[in-house]
Amino acid sequence: MRESTIMKIHYGTALAAVALVAVHILMRLTQNFAESLEYESVLANYKFIPYAIMLELILILLAVHGFNGLRVILIELKQGRIYEKAVSYGCLAAMIGLIAYGSRTIIMTNMGLV
Amino acid sequence: MPQDEHKEGIGGMMNPTRYGIERVAYLLMRLSGLGLLAYFVAHIYETSNILRGQVGWNEFLELTQTTEGHLFLAIVIAMCVFHTVNGIRVMLGHGGVGVGKPARPDYPYDPASQNYRHKIGIYSSIVLAAVAAMYGLAVMFGE
Repeated sequence: MRESTIMKIHYGTALAAVALVAVHILMRLTQNFAESLEYESVLANYKFIPYAIMLELILILLAVHGFNGLRVILIELKQGRIYEKAVSYGCLAAMIGLIAYGSRTIIMTNMGLV
Repeated sequence: MPQDEHKEGIGGMMNPTRYGIERVAYLLMRLSGLGLLAYFVAHIYETSNILRGQVGWNEFLELTQTTEGHLFLAIVIAMCVFHTVNGIRVMLGHGGVGVGKPARPDYPYDPASQNYRHKIGIYSSIVLAAVAAMYGLAVMFGE
């Protein structure tokens, strides 16, 4: 993929993540901070399907943005065909792994498999 | 290969005193990005503890809902706000907003793009990050 396309994805995921993370944080402030972290409260959040979809979107957006950012930093530090490929595929694998792990939590909790 | 005496490597690149506030912003952007990525991975692991049931969740909450945990979260809030505000500045700059018009380079060759608008943007992001961290502390400790 062209770097210009990757940067557009980087900026797009950043802007979308800012909006959704703001909603995620504001949800903590709709009640007392400590109360919002109580087991029942968090479980209710996960079981509310629109909120679970939003969490999944945040997970994907931040994983793509974060690991692409890491890739950019690592490629700034050192260059080389093999190194750059290793960094790119390593970051892609880490991104997929994190999305899979986070999705497992969201799906299992939403379906009541706790 | 002889070592270039002028080549300072990463240490030279990271020297914030030599290149002005733009270089400080560049460094803070990368450090906050790495910090936020580390926090994000930890947060995904932390929230996965809900699969261990109420006991597991409460056990993990006891580890994070401490004074140190709240201070750490305040730093995360500051990093998040700085990264967001400075990131929007960088995006606008990449889009040509606030970087000035192309002109003939004359002595002392001040880069048109490093102007007061972007400097204000950088200082604003630092101030907003500090304010957000203090607000976060007030919310977390004000219970």
